[in-house]
Amino acid sequence: MSELATQLEELRRRFGNAVAGAPDEAGLEQVRIAYLGRNGEVTQVRRTIGRLPAHERPAAGKSINDAVGAMEAELQTAQARLESLTFQSELAESIDVTFPAIPAGAGSLNPVRRVIDDACTYFRRHGFAVVVGDEIESDYNNFDALNIPSDHPAREGFDSFWITATLLLRPHTSPVQIRTMQQHRPPIAIVAPGKCFRRDAVDARHLFQFHQIEGLLVAQGIHFGHLKGMLAEMCRELFGAQQSVRFRPSYFPFTEPSAEVDTTCPKCGGEGASCSMCGGSGWIELGGAGMVHPSVLREVGYDPDIYSGWAFGFGVERLALARYEVDDIRRFINGDPNFLEQLA
Amino acid sequence: MRVPVSWLREFVDLPNDAAAIADRLAMLGFPVASIENRPSITGVVVGRIVELEKHPNADRLLVARVDVAGERPLTVATAATNVATGQTIALATIGARLPALTIEPRKMRGVASEGMMISAEELALPAEWFEDGIMQLDSTVELGENAIDVLGLETAVLDVEITSNRVDAMSVIGLARELAASYGVPLRLPSFSNPGTGAEPPGARPRVSIESADCVRFVAQRFGGIRVGAAPTWMRVRLALAGQRPINDIVDVSNYVMLETGQPLHFYDADRVSGAHFIVRDARNGEKIVTLDGVERILSEQALVIADEEHALGLAGLMGGMSSEVTDATTAMILEAANFNGARVRRMSSQLGLRTEASARHEKTLAPALAEIGAARAAQLLVAFGATAYEARAFGTQGAPPAPITLPVREVERLLGLDIPQARIIEHLEALGCSVLPEKADRLLVTPPLWRRDLLIAADLVEEIARMEGYDKIVPVVPSVAAHDVSSAQYDLEGRIARALAALGYREIITHSLRGAQPFERAARAGLAPDRDEVEVLNPLSEEQRFLRDSLVPGLIEYMATVNAPVRVFEIGHVFAQRDGRITERPALAFGFAAERLDEPAWRDAHFLELKGDCEAFLRDVTGRRDAVSAGARASFHPGKTALVSIDGREIGVIGRIDPRLERAYDAKLPVYVCSLDLEALPAYRLPHYRPPAKFPSTYRDLALIVDLDVTAQQIEGTIAGALGPICTGARVFDEYRGRQVGADRKSLAVRITLQRTDTTITDDDADAAIDRAIEVLREAFGAEIRA
Ligand SMILES: [Zn+2]
Repeated sequence: MSELATQLEELRRRFGNAVAGAPDEAGLEQVRIAYLGRNGEVTQVRRTIGRLPAHERPAAGKSINDAVGAMEAELQTAQARLESLTFQSELAESIDVTFPAIPAGAGSLNPVRRVIDDACTYFRRHGFAVVVGDEIESDYNNFDALNIPSDHPAREGFDSFWITATLLLRPHTSPVQIRTMQQHRPPIAIVAPGKCFRRDAVDARHLFQFHQIEGLLVAQGIHFGHLKGMLAEMCRELFGAQQSVRFRPSYFPFTEPSAEVDTTCPKCGGEGASCSMCGGSGWIELGGAGMVHPSVLREVGYDPDIYSGWAFGFGVERLALARYEVDDIRRFINGDPNFLEQLA
Repeated sequence: MRVPVSWLREFVDLPNDAAAIADRLAMLGFPVASIENRPSITGVVVGRIVELEKHPNADRLLVARVDVAGERPLTVATAATNVATGQTIALATIGARLPALTIEPRKMRGVASEGMMISAEELALPAEWFEDGIMQLDSTVELGENAIDVLGLETAVLDVEITSNRVDAMSVIGLARELAASYGVPLRLPSFSNPGTGAEPPGARPRVSIESADCVRFVAQRFGGIRVGAAPTWMRVRLALAGQRPINDIVDVSNYVMLETGQPLHFYDADRVSGAHFIVRDARNGEKIVTLDGVERILSEQALVIADEEHALGLAGLMGGMSSEVTDATTAMILEAANFNGARVRRMSSQLGLRTEASARHEKTLAPALAEIGAARAAQLLVAFGATAYEARAFGTQGAPPAPITLPVREVERLLGLDIPQARIIEHLEALGCSVLPEKADRLLVTPPLWRRDLLIAADLVEEIARMEGYDKIVPVVPSVAAHDVSSAQYDLEGRIARALAALGYREIITHSLRGAQPFERAARAGLAPDRDEVEVLNPLSEEQRFLRDSLVPGLIEYMATVNAPVRVFEIGHVFAQRDGRITERPALAFGFAAERLDEPAWRDAHFLELKGDCEAFLRDVTGRRDAVSAGARASFHPGKTALVSIDGREIGVIGRIDPRLERAYDAKLPVYVCSLDLEALPAYRLPHYRPPAKFPSTYRDLALIVDLDVTAQQIEGTIAGALGPICTGARVFDEYRGRQVGADRKSLAVRITLQRTDTTITDDDADAAIDRAIEVLREAFGAEIRA
């Protein structure tokens, strides 16, 4: 046996031991570098070929290459073995997936904003703009311009907080109609959500501070059927496809014809005789609506013979109450963390 | 208004089902708040006590023989004390079912009783409104009749809501008229002819002088032969069902006629009206009157009174006075059926804080024609009760009749989107009592009936047509909306803000905009003296609603104090201030959290830094810009942990920890950190522009500097950046240390300086030279030492 052969055999034996002893893939890589790397032992052996007589060199080169081939194969086998070992231990890890989650940053929008957002999203899809207004308003924008002169019995329905003899906290969002129509020419298509204030005694159904969402569409050829169409669709969007909407005649000085708008009680689906949400009527009152009164149009300089329009004003907390089946409207003010979490 | 259906049926044929009637009323614009179904009662008949004797075995019992038009009188034992021979009563016979019991044959102390005489309570009527003991029926009713039918008790009672424009419907006849029109059936009106005739005794003829334009009509009528007593049972029962307590026949007649026709009435004791002369005039300033409720009222000229020649007798349309009240001693009286200007009555009512069933009608301005109708109905009833009615005398005018309205027929379709044939339009309007004449082709001239003073313009008629046709017949259509120029920017900004904060883990709350004085009291308790520039409400319902908030911060602290646990919240809302009489209203935002105290040295506060990080992220998200902060002070905030926030040099708000003294004043157990921003000061969103990554790699060096305590991180970073110029792409303080190793008045700051060249890879030599330059400048500027 040539010296080279002995040398290679010895090398392969040590290599074999080292491979067998490598504890993991990283250890195996070290073995590879030590034997087969650029400056590894095989390279050292290969360098000795130069010292051999020229005719022996091809055989020597071949025997080295054979050895390298074998070592690489060995390495590959070991690699496969260690790799599977690695995965074996990683795959052996096991957790209780039912363990409580680490809570994500628990931010949320107020349910009042969600209702407003969803309603506004519907109207914006149909080309409406969303306008916000001030909460302190003039009595002109609040009443006179809306066809409620100072002696009008309907003023009683708006028991308002007054700031001065002519300024008050708006009891409804309708002054936004007036402001918008004063600043723009028709067509007008807006929704106006916002805070309102009335001197109401607070109970499970009433707040003295609440939100309304107002809608106004004025153009040529707008009629009551358009009001019904959009409000019905809005209700389906807010409450679901089963929702039906009912319009009852009513009276508001700023609309004619006027209507009260009801929608199916979402809690009982209109069926519950003993339903706590609708009091058994099967309907939830959304608020008032109607065709804008000609006097209101005239007051902002629109010709009521050319333009017509509709308006509505709904109580947002009332909508939210029905939508989320909340038992008491007071929960919307200073909503406690549990309430906000549930409706997040 | 409580309306017994049986009363409605007197004037119009209606379906049997009360719920169907209620639905119809609702769809006519008169929502029914509740339907009260009377309990079902059977086996109660009308009887007359023909014989009454003591019970043989019991002192407290009587035994009556009651004629119920049967084969023989029935024997009934009773403990009642108000029974007498000849009385007509209601008798529950054997097998009768009452709300609380069923009548069975029984022996009372040895006497077999064949029924029970009943009281109001057993008929589920308010017992305190009726006689103690057995209910007395009118002697005219037929014996043996079903007493429940006779009394009109077998009826549902509807609680009907009537909108303020429909005073004509604030009566049984008014509602019956609506139902008749809607069902297309006839309305059976009672006779409105006044039975009063003949001349009054000398000097007793009522005269009326109307001295105010606010009295349109005044019908006066004298009645003699008055003996005040109980009204007939049918009337008392009907009033009770309508929620009106029976008092005596005179008061009951006036209430009955008001409920039936809508016309309020008033009766004066004729002997207590000087000269039988009524004067309708403004009250004199300081004039006094004691009204029927026993209250002495001091009047101003705003009040309209009915006076005689000596003094005010009553408040027009509101309430009569004690001085001319009808009493048991009254033998003759004068009826007033008047018509007043509604606005005048309403002003008087609100000034005096007095509201009555009469004023609720008068303040909406009744039809003048109703005065004579009311007088006639009252006279009919009083004559039936045995009074003598003299001639009714009307003063004033009938007022202007409703003006004819031109209705272009196409207006109906223009407003409703519903094509209703002209003939049908006319049919609907005529059903409501309008007279309709064709004016031109496609135009109608419509004259509303006398009682419909709310119909003024074509749109009013369109609503009437829609009501008659049914709102449900109008076809829903989604319109296509033409382009317009109204902006949604403000709303969008608020939405963007809310979503940005929600994404940062804050929950949105809504607190009260109206507040009491507690924020000021709490600030005072904390030793702080905030500016009092709040807007005050003139008429709060309670002291808790007196002021409009001038900041969102107190609401946030209060919320966190109430929750008393770590919580992260925000609020967007308006805040109000008043300076030099000028009221301002601005949108504001506050967000913050309460968190457990950390174990930290006095010079470090990780909660503050967390809030600052949220504030940066928020502003970046909403404005697309980076903010800057500088140490500052604000009342309510901790003096050493407060920073003013600005963007592009403009101050937009404040962040920091709340002053611990204020936290204590709010009883907040955990420290509270708040960022308060003025939304109007927020700059518009700026679009970011992309810069591709540098072509050459960067390198960095960390420095440990020892500087004086008052040197800020911002100063160090700014100085390094300024000294090195563009080669420095970042200078960021990332650690601070204080302690013995650096001395009591010095601190150590660790800074990472990132260096990069745009033209070539930066060499170690370049970097070292830059760092040397930075060290030099820091030494000069702050006396900084470099720590080994
Ligand atoms: Zn329900």
